[in-house]
Amino acid sequence: MTAPAQLRRSRRRTPLTWLRGGGLSNLLFLAPMLIVFGLYSWGPIVQTVVMSFQKTNLITSHFVGFDNFVNVLEDPVLPTAVLNTLYFALLALIFGFPLPILLAVLMSEVRRAKGFYSALAYLPVVVPPVVAVLLWKFFFDASPNGVFNTMLGWIGIAPQPWLQNQATAMPSLVLEATWAAAGGSIIIYLAALLSVPPELYDAAEVDGAGIWRKVWHVTLPQLRTVIFVMLILQVLATAQVFLEPFLFTAGGPNNATVTVLLLIYRYAFQNSLGGNYGEATALSLMLAIVLAILSFVYFRLTKRWSTT
Amino acid sequence: MKSRKVIAAAAAFATIAALAACTSGGSGKTELRVATFPPGADAAAYEAFAAQEAQFEEENPGIDIIGVEYEWKGPTFAVQLAAGSLPDVFTVPFTDAKTLLENGQLMDVTDEIAALGYTDKFNPIILDAVTGDDGHLYGFPRQAYAMGLHYNRDLFEAAGLDPDSPPTTWDEVREYAKQISEATGKAGFMEMTINNTGGWQLVAASAARGGFIQEVNGDTTTSTINNPGTVAALEYLHDLRWEDNSLGSNFLLGWGEINQEFAAGNIGMYTSGSDVYTALVRDFGLNPDSYGLTVIPTEGDDAKVLGGGDIAVVSPSIDDATRAAAVKWIDWYYMQKLLNEDAAKKDAETLVASGQAVGTPVLPVLDQETYEQGREWIADYINVPLDQMSGFFDGIFEQTPVGEPKSHTQEIYALLDSVVQAVLTDENADIDALLTQADEQAQALIDG
Amino acid sequence: MTAKVTATRVDKRRQDVDAPDRGILSVFDRRKPAVRVGMGVVHAVLIGGLVFAGLGPILWLAKAAVTTTQDSIQHPLALWPSGIDWANLAQAWTDVEVGHYFLNTLILAAGAWVTQIVVATTAGYGLAVLRPAYAKVVNAAVLATLFIPSVVLLVPLYISVVRPAIGISLLNNYWGVWLPATANAFTIVLVTRFFDNLPREIFEAARTDGAGPFRVFWSIVLPMSRPILGVVSVFAIIASLKDYLWPSLILTEPDVQSLGVRLPAIQSFVEIDVLLAALAIATTIPIALFLAFQRVFLRSAGLGGAVKG
Repeated sequence: MTAPAQLRRSRRRTPLTWLRGGGLSNLLFLAPMLIVFGLYSWGPIVQTVVMSFQKTNLITSHFVGFDNFVNVLEDPVLPTAVLNTLYFALLALIFGFPLPILLAVLMSEVRRAKGFYSALAYLPVVVPPVVAVLLWKFFFDASPNGVFNTMLGWIGIAPQPWLQNQATAMPSLVLEATWAAAGGSIIIYLAALLSVPPELYDAAEVDGAGIWRKVWHVTLPQLRTVIFVMLILQVLATAQVFLEPFLFTAGGPNNATVTVLLLIYRYAFQNSLGGNYGEATALSLMLAIVLAILSFVYFRLTKRWSTT
Repeated sequence: MKSRKVIAAAAAFATIAALAACTSGGSGKTELRVATFPPGADAAAYEAFAAQEAQFEEENPGIDIIGVEYEWKGPTFAVQLAAGSLPDVFTVPFTDAKTLLENGQLMDVTDEIAALGYTDKFNPIILDAVTGDDGHLYGFPRQAYAMGLHYNRDLFEAAGLDPDSPPTTWDEVREYAKQISEATGKAGFMEMTINNTGGWQLVAASAARGGFIQEVNGDTTTSTINNPGTVAALEYLHDLRWEDNSLGSNFLLGWGEINQEFAAGNIGMYTSGSDVYTALVRDFGLNPDSYGLTVIPTEGDDAKVLGGGDIAVVSPSIDDATRAAAVKWIDWYYMQKLLNEDAAKKDAETLVASGQAVGTPVLPVLDQETYEQGREWIADYINVPLDQMSGFFDGIFEQTPVGEPKSHTQEIYALLDSVVQAVLTDENADIDALLTQADEQAQALIDG
Repeated sequence: MTAKVTATRVDKRRQDVDAPDRGILSVFDRRKPAVRVGMGVVHAVLIGGLVFAGLGPILWLAKAAVTTTQDSIQHPLALWPSGIDWANLAQAWTDVEVGHYFLNTLILAAGAWVTQIVVATTAGYGLAVLRPAYAKVVNAAVLATLFIPSVVLLVPLYISVVRPAIGISLLNNYWGVWLPATANAFTIVLVTRFFDNLPREIFEAARTDGAGPFRVFWSIVLPMSRPILGVVSVFAIIASLKDYLWPSLILTEPDVQSLGVRLPAIQSFVEIDVLLAALAIATTIPIALFLAFQRVFLRSAGLGGAVKG
């Protein structure tokens, strides 16, 4: 019979007691995770900080102090990248955030075919992102015969330049990104809606609430935690958007869709003669710190409004 | 008893393992990994390569050639070099060769070229691109091109233009482009705009109008992007886009994309290296009958034609035996067909057998005499439509070539990408402001 | 009166654990004609919207896969004005070698699945069941990485995979893709939490019977963890199928590339109709998998919401 943990600790600890107490098997079980995290998570985090103060070309590296940070902050494309990223996040928030909630609420009320609707909604999530982007690239063809422009023509709207114009490029990306991600959010909200206690609705009806008031005073408050979590998750994800700008427009036209992550990629990987890894990590670090502060502030704020 | 069994088993194991290691390493052949073609090359190209590989291996039984798909691409190169997974022989464009040289990423092949005996046959301007500051040579210039104007004969006909009379001035290009776009709804003219090709083509367009984006005075290099040639080139694009609307509706095109559009019959005319015919037919499915090539129009007395090319280099991280094999391969595969009649004929023969293009217009890396003799040797095998390219062959030697800018070329091209994109997507783009800003940024790069 | 009502409600709830007997709309609400019409409209909007937006693009892709290039460009919404072009699919299969890259994608996904399950279950077991003294520290360190955006890791991770200080380069090696993906705090937290909630008496009982930690892991904990293993599997496989940036950096040789990395690289070298056919083929398996395992997918996806805060 194994003694409980507290008792074990009161004995003198020697390697033998450790072994007898199952220390080796503990370590064996945790070994895979520790090795993997050490090599591919904790290690790289430390390395990022170190590298951001170095100039390296994969073979040699030397210390350059804050030079990388200064160079990054002085890069004329940086303000554009930051603004673009904020723009993307904002558009995604305005158009992509309420939609899944609305659809989920609607879908949770239908009696039949809920599974069918769920499957339909989730289908775009299942399509591999690369396929989705290449497909939508075709949809966004700016000639009057392009798929979307033809459809717009049916309702009498002139053909749009979509990706070919600095003003419409980013909204086009947000459109595709929303399409691809909405399904996932819908399913999460659906699951959360299931756990709303029905008695609350009963109680609200007893107080004479109509449908809208029930939604406003019962459903949404109950979803509050989930909504808060989804909100910060979406902001964090959109702040790191890479695939869409990279595959759709390579950051163009005229840097209209360059995001911070695309800029990091450019620093590190786009120079054919050896990347500027120091500046790339400096920018990654700055982004991470901003996001970390944002998350921290966010959680403090939402704690006050949360029920848990 | 148990331990003896274990020892016996271990001994048996060790012997087998040793034998296995012996056989795998002891075949005696030197393995050489060589670059072949970019992605998208059709099966026939690989057939031709396989035939040539077999020929080489027959003459050099000690070498085992392994072909590797290869495309010069920024991210791939630097990392693969560091990780040691580049082919042993690969090609590098002139623009990047100098910097690779400075970084010590190319292998010194001066002695090898001297031993092969044709150091002085190279066109000195081109040889300069592979010469380091120490006067040593670091690669074999293997192919050079000049910028040319490619046009689609079918679209010309559809617009009522004579495919045998391509435009000779920029005004004519504009006129024809308008006619094509009005008659067929396709883009009459277009220029590359992304992944550094926007800058590349802008420099070519500027050079054709007498402008050049860098000035070298001894040790100092000045960025002169904002010059009348460049301004004229951008204003030209602006007018075709916003006044004539003859550029179609897709403005984010790189090298691959514009070739794809051209081969699919969606673009009437565009400028690119004169040797792109091979790729157009092999990788992009162009119908040879639709193809036409002429010289890029030039305006003004200082007008020059931008040229470029690539060099075959040996990876610096290989051992001596592989290095010797690499030089043999480069000499055999890339050089001999330019110098030796038998080699030229055999090469042409093999390519024709697999339907590959022979005779694509290039700029000679060796002197003109050798070049012309080379073309005579393979005259019977040439299968590219030479008469559809007469505009180019007749006019190219009248034009003055100029090499690409030397300092931070690819980075400056990337800067200029945005400028070209801005002009094409914003009707009110301030060309002067854009160019001045580009000059500032380019100068900052040059000064380090 | 209240007791009876409560009792009936409790009974009703016991019948159907999944779906509450009511949502926003009460039984009474649904009988109102206005609500009936409203629900009809909702159905119509949902069907119209979801079919158009969710199914539409995929159906279009299926149609375009067998359409000629000119038709796709000039008349994209017409149904095969020039006839059906089956050759696209054949060409996509042979020229673009969709089959080969598809196989690579499957291998990548399978490997990701196995490695992540192994790491997540062993870690969860160690942290939640065995609970050595240092478990708290490890737990905190893992949770901390949840708050660090993955972008921070990109460059040094890349360098340490491609040019490690010790060992061989994992460039063009599937392990270079699998191993970093296992350092995933999210799945480890999920599994740890799940194991935390398992009844400890069972473990104690097993230990009393003389079972060592491995035995307990293999014969007791794992069989009990089917639900969470399902969730981790779905996450691991979907993440593997969705991944683009990392595989594109690590798998540079075409032979080992997955479909997701290969397609953008050759998009300008392939005719549009063949490209669309290749895209269509690339979509079939994820969709087929999804339709076959719908419940597992949707449940796993919904679990995120059930985990409140």
